[in-house]
Amino acid sequence: MSTTPVTKDATNGGPADDGPATGTTAAGTTAAAGSGAAGPDGTGPGTPRPVFSVEGLWKVFGPKADRVPGSELAELPAAELRERTGCTAAVRDVSFDVRKGEVFVVMGLSGSGKSTLVRCLTRLIEPTSGTVAIDGEDILAMDKSRLRELRRHRAAMVFQHFGLLPHRTVLDNVAYGLEIQGMGRAERRAKAAEIVTKVGLEGMEDRRPSQLSGGQQQRVGLARALAVDPEVLLFDEPFSALDPLIRRDMQEEVVRLHREEGCTMVFITHDLSEALRLGDRIALMRDGRIVQLGTPEEIVGSPADDYVRDFVRDVPREQVITVRSAMRPPCAGEADSGPAVAPGATVSEAIEAVARTGGPVRVVDAGRCVGVVDHEGLLSVVAGVPLGKAAA
Amino acid sequence: MTTAVTAPVRPRLPAAARRYWPLAAALVLLPLGLLLAGRGSWPASLQVDLSGPLGSASDWIVDNRDSHPLFLYFLGHVSNAVVLSVRGVYLVLLAAGWAGVTAAAGLVAWRLAGPRLAATAVASFAVCGLLGMWVPTMQTLALMVVAVAASVALGAVLGLAAGLSDRTYRALRPVLDTMQVLPAFAYLLPVVLIFGIGVPAAVLATVVYAAPPMARLTALGLRAADPGVLEASASLGATGRQRLLTARIPLARRELLLGVNQSIMMALSMAVIASVIGAGGLGDRVYQALASVDVGAALAAGIPIVLLAVVLDRTATGARSHGTPGRTWAACAAAVLALAVAGRLTGALTWPEAWHVDIAEPVNRAVDWMTAHLYSGVPVVGGTADWAAHFTGWVLDPVRDGLQALPWWALLVVVGALALHVGTWRTALTAVSAMAAIGVLGVWDASLDTLSQVLAAVAVTLVLGFGIAVGAARSSRLERLLRPVLDVFQTMPQFVYLIPVVALFGVGRAPAVAAAVVYALPAVVRITTQGLRGVDPVALESARSLGATGWQQLRQVQFPLARPALLLAVNQAVVLVLAVVIIGGLVGGGALGYDVVFGLAQGDLATGLVAGAAIVCLGLMLDRVTQPTGKEA
Repeated sequence: MSTTPVTKDATNGGPADDGPATGTTAAGTTAAAGSGAAGPDGTGPGTPRPVFSVEGLWKVFGPKADRVPGSELAELPAAELRERTGCTAAVRDVSFDVRKGEVFVVMGLSGSGKSTLVRCLTRLIEPTSGTVAIDGEDILAMDKSRLRELRRHRAAMVFQHFGLLPHRTVLDNVAYGLEIQGMGRAERRAKAAEIVTKVGLEGMEDRRPSQLSGGQQQRVGLARALAVDPEVLLFDEPFSALDPLIRRDMQEEVVRLHREEGCTMVFITHDLSEALRLGDRIALMRDGRIVQLGTPEEIVGSPADDYVRDFVRDVPREQVITVRSAMRPPCAGEADSGPAVAPGATVSEAIEAVARTGGPVRVVDAGRCVGVVDHEGLLSVVAGVPLGKAAA
Repeated sequence: MTTAVTAPVRPRLPAAARRYWPLAAALVLLPLGLLLAGRGSWPASLQVDLSGPLGSASDWIVDNRDSHPLFLYFLGHVSNAVVLSVRGVYLVLLAAGWAGVTAAAGLVAWRLAGPRLAATAVASFAVCGLLGMWVPTMQTLALMVVAVAASVALGAVLGLAAGLSDRTYRALRPVLDTMQVLPAFAYLLPVVLIFGIGVPAAVLATVVYAAPPMARLTALGLRAADPGVLEASASLGATGRQRLLTARIPLARRELLLGVNQSIMMALSMAVIASVIGAGGLGDRVYQALASVDVGAALAAGIPIVLLAVVLDRTATGARSHGTPGRTWAACAAAVLALAVAGRLTGALTWPEAWHVDIAEPVNRAVDWMTAHLYSGVPVVGGTADWAAHFTGWVLDPVRDGLQALPWWALLVVVGALALHVGTWRTALTAVSAMAAIGVLGVWDASLDTLSQVLAAVAVTLVLGFGIAVGAARSSRLERLLRPVLDVFQTMPQFVYLIPVVALFGVGRAPAVAAAVVYALPAVVRITTQGLRGVDPVALESARSLGATGWQQLRQVQFPLARPALLLAVNQAVVLVLAVVIIGGLVGGGALGYDVVFGLAQGDLATGLVAGAAIVCLGLMLDRVTQPTGKEA
């Protein structure tokens, strides 16, 4: 599903690279990720050990912050907490797992604690309480050198304001992480040159960051993170400072990298469409808490509360929700022939198919017909009205 | 009205009353104090005579300089190291010969700041030779090299400590801030007390004077490093050391180079002034010439100082804007070496006598002519000496007498009220204690004499400075014309300003004030012009769109919006004027500056030290009374 809006673009004449395959979104993405364990509903069986496992995480800023988590203070609203203790709880009792190979998006408005949360993952900000584990290893228990090891090799971060060294060339910026690891000059520059090509900056190796556009600077930031071959890429609102068109380019770049490299990503954003476009799963944060965690389809299709509902109100539902939610069991004769779509296809794709044929369209999964979509079912999704009689 | 509606709230004082109540309180206290504490100068009963203990301390140091372990094992080594390194640099410069040194200066200037400056540098050194000042120039340069190296190293270490540790920063900042506002003369006596008159004292005074800007700017640069870059560095697993070397220090490059630049300029300024305590070189020539009112000789030594200042400043500025290419340095060094050897072989190490141009004679003739024709009796405008006399009689004397006639406690109250008006309780406390300390030290009258000169000079500076700045802010052409003049004036060491004023006005208090005005004017003009130009153009445009006249725009938009810049200009004017008024003691300015010079000349360190302490107090008081940061921050 993460690629769906891109696909829609592709049908409009955008850079279509793998036409029909993208129609299978959810299944397609997870298959590409290699594990195939995460079902579209996020509760697939046989889940392997998560990359990041966060449990009951708190981050409180202010004097004597330790006393807040677990006490009665923990339940106070933000304003009252500040009034009584002078503390601000940026992250409140957050728990989630990031699975191998997925794009996990943390989304929320500014001040919702998402940037603090991602910094807690590598202890750039020291959490107040809770546990954070990477591959089962407790990050909060790591000593300094172990933590450096984690930051050097396992988790690399891309920042909103790039954080490039202004006095170094593009190539040396990309090689910076390798330099910190202690890699020799020739070796790290060779590797950096490779990555520079990968992110499409060839020919600009000797420029300084100030000579690049914002999008190019962020490509350098991305290349710097990629250069260290991390298990997990952490993105902290990487594209918020960019123009809309450049942002779209960069999002496609991330989608492409994810497909090609298959690495796990934690992606922070305040942009809902970005979250829906990139995320395999989305954690929606408000005031330091996760208010809903699920696939884009779940967030848009069944919002957990009024806040989320308000949030996703203007989302074009037909581009997010799949036919799985719009189909009904086939009537006699319908299951055998006629045009077909995959269960992961979006409603808008199904609408196109239905409009072209003029009748119901089969939903086929691995050669087996699992249902049928027709005008009625599709329209009810677009209108946001619950299906009258249909199943699923 | 609103307070009447929300009845229970205690009515607050109106804004104006809150702002001006210290002044009102002063007005009430004045007659009250007059009744209770009497009038007149600082009472003798509140004075502490320090000349006895200071004299004996000085004697003790003189007696023990060769035997006490502190001198034997520490200060003696410091002194020897300084002498040795200055001597070493001096010998190297002499050995390189005029050809080698000039070539080196030209090449360094060329690599760092381009061919134009290289030409200027070569020409400047040639002029130094032509004026017969080659050896003194090399002496000054040798002292400068050692002092700058030491102060940059010391400043960098202090700055590094303050940049990385908050606690050190908090402890160091007020000290550095204060050191920067103190007149150079205040630093001379303590080092003389310990090291005696001579090169070590001169170098150490220069280091102490020139290190604070380096330390300040280093700390500032390190602390201002983009937190995003530092975080990125940390996120890649950098150790503290790696982060410092690869991110923090390179990010602070601009500030570091600016710090080196400022250190060089301060060092030059002080190296010249330190001629009073045995620095030798160009400053000494000026000092000797001024002492015998030989303007020609002073000018011959003053011109090399100015040229040196301009070349050093432009080269250092060039290093800031350009990157420094690495490889060509070897070629440059080889070229310099070749030229030096060539110079040696032709036997021309010091500048050939035959090429000297004696300007002292013609200049002195010109000055004599001026004395005869311009000093007084010029029809309509009057002569320069007449002006000086009028200024002394009509402005300086009344202000001084007025200050000295004020009851001592009233002055304290006025100082306190002013400090409270611009700052906080703490600034007021500092200012009043500084002022009181002056009285306790027993140099109340002399300090008020200095203060009167400062006040007169500041008033003149501000009137002229604001006038010129308003003009420059309105006319781009005037600003373009002014800019190079300001650039040169701002790089010149304080000492040099004494030469032309002595030529024009003779000696006395008025010339000292004139030198102070000329010295402080460029900074005031520059800060004010920048402030006025920096006013939000939208605000100005909206005023214009409402039909405001030029005067209305200036008064209602530009001045209020540029208020911080104007206050800074006042503060700078006070600090700079004080520095030169004190040095004016060398040309008959009298008061505290004279006490310092007298103390040095007569070996009466106690008098000089007391005057030096009073200068520190006066500087502290004046800075606090005019420093507007307290409230805004």
